[in-house]
Amino acid sequence: MSDDHKSDHQDSGHGHSPMFEYQPALPISIGKTFMWLFLSTEIMFFAALIGTYIVLRFGAVNWPSTHDVHLAEIWGATNTFVLICSSVTIVLALEAAKKNLASAAKGWMVLTFALGAVFLGIKMFEYNAKFSHSLFPIYPHSQIYEKADVYYAQAVRKRLNGLKADLENTTERTEAQNEQLTLIDSISLDYVVPAEKAIREDPESPAGRILLLKMADAIYPRASVHEHHAGIRHAAAQSSKFKLISTGSEAAAGHLQGLNDQYHWLKLPIMIPGGNMWVSTYFLLTGFHALHVVVGLIVFALLLRMTLGTSKAGLIENIGLYWHFVDLVWIFLFPLLYLF
Amino acid sequence: MTNETSHNDHQGHGSTGLYVTVFVALCILTSMSFLTYFDFWRERVPVGVSRAFMMAVSCCKAMLVITFFMHLKWEANWKWVLTVPASLLAIVLMLVLVPDVGLRMRHASYTRMIHAAEVSPEVSGDHPKEPHDADHSST
Repeated sequence: MSDDHKSDHQDSGHGHSPMFEYQPALPISIGKTFMWLFLSTEIMFFAALIGTYIVLRFGAVNWPSTHDVHLAEIWGATNTFVLICSSVTIVLALEAAKKNLASAAKGWMVLTFALGAVFLGIKMFEYNAKFSHSLFPIYPHSQIYEKADVYYAQAVRKRLNGLKADLENTTERTEAQNEQLTLIDSISLDYVVPAEKAIREDPESPAGRILLLKMADAIYPRASVHEHHAGIRHAAAQSSKFKLISTGSEAAAGHLQGLNDQYHWLKLPIMIPGGNMWVSTYFLLTGFHALHVVVGLIVFALLLRMTLGTSKAGLIENIGLYWHFVDLVWIFLFPLLYLF
Repeated sequence: MTNETSHNDHQGHGSTGLYVTVFVALCILTSMSFLTYFDFWRERVPVGVSRAFMMAVSCCKAMLVITFFMHLKWEANWKWVLTVPASLLAIVLMLVLVPDVGLRMRHASYTRMIHAAEVSPEVSGDHPKEPHDADHSST
């Protein structure tokens, strides 16, 4: 059809309409153009998320310290290093492919894939650290209260009563279950009942609030509180009728152990000021980033099935651009989440 | 190094040596940002300076990745069309939210405090109270 048009133009007049040559918009391949356009949409996506995080975090009333929420900077730094290494290896894969060294390119690509998998492995380890301390992004698993107030005490009481009812309804209780029942009673008597009583009798006095805070601390000790008050022992543990194994003391691993840590079946509601906003933003940012890493790994797996010669250099370049972008996002996420 | 970069510019891409150099620079920058984790840093350096330092380190790392690994050093002027608006968007988007959301807790307490309702003495039956400090309210 275009041929007919050409002949029409030539017949209608001498140079009446000049023949236009198709010019590409940019002096790069279509694939590369589209990858860059896609990356600019991704930049907007992550800019929105990161910008929102910055604003919410600095505008928040309270924000948990990194150690309160079991965030270890060493793993963040390790992940940063792993992603930087994977960026280098994919660049080297590209260089090898351009020189038509297919096996070298494949080797570098395998290394990139492995490093990406290591990143995801460390991320899963970190997520597990959060989940095991009942830090979940959504209800109903998330039982984070912002303040140690009467509603928090009520939630703890309800959980204890629920556990107690389940145990009492079990016809044949094992030794372990009997111990659990004893523990529930002791927690109730040592922490929940005195706190609720104090706040009920004298709502204005700080005594009730202090007992509520001590209860919250016994369940989930916050590192930021204990660094400040190093060496102060909790009076409540000493005045109990029941023998409680040292609550709120340092464990051998150097991280504070509360009731939820010592008895994993308890799963009592925890109190972290600013905790809910923290879990939402942390899991959103790292979750979306991890999703992007997974997509990258899937594409690597597909690439590894091909022979990575010069003909594939353009493809590797474009995938490399995506992977560098993923690295870039992490470079910004790491200080914002771990170091601020 | 200058010989290498001018040779690379002529070629249109970097040598392996250049990429390894960039990698080493990135590692150094990462360990610099990790310095802020230690106690001596926290005691000596003000928080604002610390944060500015970390953002500067992140921007340097980002520039290294973008320029060399993503190859933009050797690309034509179209790179500005893509990078400049996107960067402006990222910065401006954050800045527009700062007055309303970012500075929320700076003045909210004071404003609430001066406008908080007071129980009139006739109703409460005693001396007029001080305006409540709104700091410990939940919102």
